[in-house]
Amino acid sequence: MSRLSPLEERDGETVVRVPLTNGLTLTKGQTALTLVGILVLFGLPFLAGIVGLSWGRLFRGLLFGMAAVGLNLLLRHTELVSFGHAAFFGGGAYAVAVLAAHLDVSEGLLLLLAAVIVGTLLAAFIGYFVAGYVDIYFALLTLAFNAVIFATVFRSGFFNYNDGLAVRVGGDNPTLFGLGWTDLGYDLVLYYTTIVLMLVMLLLMWRLVHSPFGRALDAIGQDRTRARFIGIPVERYVWISFTISGLYGAFAGGVYALQRLHVQPEPTLYVFVSGEILFMAILGGFTTLVGPLIGGVLLVYLLEATRFSFYYYHAPIGIILLAIVFFMPKGIMGSLPDILAGLSRRASDPGLLGDDLQTIGSSIRRSLSRATTTVRILVFGVR
Amino acid sequence: MTTGSHEPRDDGAAGIDRRDALKLVGGSAIAVALAGCAELLEDEDDAIEDADVPDEPIEAGLQTFLEGAPAVLGVQAEMGAETAVRRINDNGGVAGREIELDVIEEGEEALENYQQFVDDGKDVTFGPISSGNHEAMVPEINAQGVINVATDGTVTTLYEEDHPPEDNTYSFRFQNHDVMEALAAAVEAVEVLGVDEIDTYAGINPGYAFGFDEHEVFSAGIEQLTGAEEVYDGFPDLGADDMSTHIEAVNSEEPDVLFSSCWGGDATLLLEQGHGAGMFDNIELMVGPVLYGSANDLSEGLVDGPIRSGSRNFYWDEPTTDRWSPAADLFEEVVDEYDAVPTAHFMSGYGAVTAWATAAEKAVRLLGRWPEQDELAELLVGHGFHTPAGYHTMADDHQCYSNAHFGELAWSDDLDAAVLENVTVYAPEEVSPPQGKPSLEWIGGW
Repeated sequence: MSRLSPLEERDGETVVRVPLTNGLTLTKGQTALTLVGILVLFGLPFLAGIVGLSWGRLFRGLLFGMAAVGLNLLLRHTELVSFGHAAFFGGGAYAVAVLAAHLDVSEGLLLLLAAVIVGTLLAAFIGYFVAGYVDIYFALLTLAFNAVIFATVFRSGFFNYNDGLAVRVGGDNPTLFGLGWTDLGYDLVLYYTTIVLMLVMLLLMWRLVHSPFGRALDAIGQDRTRARFIGIPVERYVWISFTISGLYGAFAGGVYALQRLHVQPEPTLYVFVSGEILFMAILGGFTTLVGPLIGGVLLVYLLEATRFSFYYYHAPIGIILLAIVFFMPKGIMGSLPDILAGLSRRASDPGLLGDDLQTIGSSIRRSLSRATTTVRILVFGVR
Repeated sequence: MTTGSHEPRDDGAAGIDRRDALKLVGGSAIAVALAGCAELLEDEDDAIEDADVPDEPIEAGLQTFLEGAPAVLGVQAEMGAETAVRRINDNGGVAGREIELDVIEEGEEALENYQQFVDDGKDVTFGPISSGNHEAMVPEINAQGVINVATDGTVTTLYEEDHPPEDNTYSFRFQNHDVMEALAAAVEAVEVLGVDEIDTYAGINPGYAFGFDEHEVFSAGIEQLTGAEEVYDGFPDLGADDMSTHIEAVNSEEPDVLFSSCWGGDATLLLEQGHGAGMFDNIELMVGPVLYGSANDLSEGLVDGPIRSGSRNFYWDEPTTDRWSPAADLFEEVVDEYDAVPTAHFMSGYGAVTAWATAAEKAVRLLGRWPEQDELAELLVGHGFHTPAGYHTMADDHQCYSNAHFGELAWSDDLDAAVLENVTVYAPEEVSPPQGKPSLEWIGGW
C-alpha cells in the first residue's frame, strides 16, 4: 500500500489509519460504522422527522451523552464512580444563563466558551479535593459537592431560585457567529456547530485514552499502589482526568443552555441528573468511546417521550433498562460485537436456535423452582 | 372547630330562564354548561349551527403533576380539566367539536412537553402547575404560536416584567397570581385582628421560588398596612420531613401573625408539628394562602386553632351551595366522580379549559368559521366568562382576574372533611395592582 493511502495491513487485517490521531486505526467495519454515524449526525435534523422522532430531543440526548463521555474517562480508565457530574453540566449551563441574564452577553459562542471555562474551573476545584479518594468515599464526595452547588443555586435570588434564568437578551435568541438568525436557523447553526465540536472532542478523547497518559489512567484504575510504585503521579493524573472529564460536561451544559434557552436547577444540577449521566455511560457501554453517547440519547428519549404513550411511564422505562442491564451487561455498544457474532453464527447454523430455546426453557424452570421454594418457605417455614 | 352546615343542596336555578342564562354567561351553549347551568339549554343555536367548522375533534393537551408531592395540586387540576371537557362534550362540544384531552406528567420537562404537544398537532394546550416551568415555556409558546392557558404557574413577574403584552401573544394564565393570595392573607390578618393588634409577624414558607415570592409580598403588605416588624422567617425545604426548628423559633418569638405558604405534605406537617409543640397557643393568627389545597389530607385535629386559609379563586361553598346551585352541582359531580373535595387547583384546570372553550365558541359565532390561533389569542384578551366560581376576566396582560377567597379552617362532620368558614371574598382590584403597575411598587403606595 502506498504511504499516502489510509489503508495498511496489521496482523493480517486491513485497517484504516485515522488522520490526526498519531497512528490510531479502525477496522473496515468500524470505519463503515463511524462514517454511517457521522452521516446520521449530520442528517439528523432532516431524518428525525421522517422516522417520527423529535430532533430537539435527540439533540438533548446527544448533549447529556457527551457529559457521559466525559464521565466515562473516570469510570472506564481510573475506575472511579462520580455521582457529581451534573455539577459541571449545570455549571456550564448556568454560566451561559448568568452571563446572558445579568450581563446581557448575547453572542452564543462567547457564552459557550464561558461555559467551558467555568465548568472546567469548577471541575478543577472539586477535583483537587477528591482526587486522593477512591470507591465510596470518592462517590460520596462528588455527590456532596454536587448537592452543595444545587442547594446554593436553588435558594439564591441571583440565580432566580428554581424558576431559573432565561438565555435571551431583550427577549431575543443569542447571536451565533455574530449574526442573528431565525428560530430554525438558530437551531440548525447551533446543532451543526455542536456536532463539529463534538466530533473533534470525541477524536481528542479517543487520542487521549490511547496516549501514554490514558495508559497511566488505566494503570491507576487497576491498582493505585502499583501505579504509584512505577512512578505515576496518581493524584495529579486523577485530578487532570477529573478536570478534563468536567470540561466535557461543561461543554454539553453550555450547549444545552443555548438550545433550551432557559436554565433551571432541577434538570441540570440535581444529583439525580448525576445518576442519570452515570447510568447513560453504563447503558450505552462504558467500555467503548461512543457508548455513553448512545446511552444518553436512549435515556433522554425514554424519559421524555414515554410519558406520551404510558400513564405509568416509569414502568416501561424500568423494564427496558432492566432488560438491557440483564441481557446486555456490557451496555448497548459494548454488547454489539457479541450480538453480531451470535447472529452470524446462528445464520450459518440455525440449529443453535434450538439450543437457545432449551437454555431459555431451563432458565425459566430453574427460576420457577426457586420461586416456588421461596414461597413455600415464606408460607410454611423451613422444614 | 366543628360545624355541620356544609351539606351541598341540590337546588335548581329557580327564577332564571334560558334567555336570562344565555345573556348572563355570554350567549353560548357551552358557556352556559360550563357556568353550571346546562339544564337551561333547550333550543338550537343557529349562529353556531351555520358556521364553517371542521368535523374532527379538538386535540388538547394538559400537563400537570401526576406523581410525587406536587400531585396534591396537579391531580386536582387534572380532575378540573377533565370535568370541564366532560361537560363540554356532553353538551355538544365547542361549536360542535368534541375535545379529546391528553393528560401527561409535567415533571421538569414542561418546555419539552409543550413542544411534543405541538409536534403532535394539538389545537390548544393547558398547564403547567410549576411557575419555573411556566417561565421556561412562554417564549416557546410565542415562537410556536399554539395557545397555552396555564393552570397555575403563578409567579407575578412573569407577565408584569418578563413577558409584557407587547411581547406575548399566545400565552395565558387562568389562576390568580401569587400577589393576590399573599396580599389577601395580609388584608385578612388585619380584618381579623385589627391594625392595632398586629405588632409582629413571622413566616414559615417553602424554600423555593414560590415560597420566597409569597413571603416577600406578604411582608410588604403587612408592613405597609400595620407597620409590623418581622421577627422570624424560615424556609424549610420543599417536602421537608421536620419543621420543628422553625416551629420552636415561632414559639420563642410569639408573633401576632404567622404567615405560611406551605402546601401539600408541608402544610399538613406544619399543622401536625405546630399542634404538637403548642404553636397555636403562642400566636394570635396563622394565615396560609394554600393550606386548603390539602383539604383532602387534613384531619379534624389539624384544623383546630386560629387558622385562616386562602383558596385562590375558588372555594366550592362560596357562595354557599344552598344559594348557588352551579357550585352544588359541581361539588356533587366531583365527589361522585373522584371521591374528593374540589380545591382551588380543581378550578385551575376547569377554568383554563373554560376560558379557551368559551372564547373559541365566541370566535366561531363572530367569524362564522373556526378561528386561527392568532384570532383566538386576540379574542381571549379581554374575554369574560363564568364558571361555578363566578365571573372571570382575561385581562390585557394575559392574566385572568377573579375573586380571591379566605376563610377560617374548620371541620365538617357531614362531609368528614375540612371546610372554610366565614369566607371573605376579595375583588381582584383589592389585592392586585392596576394593569402595567409592578406589584411591589403598588403596595408601596398603599
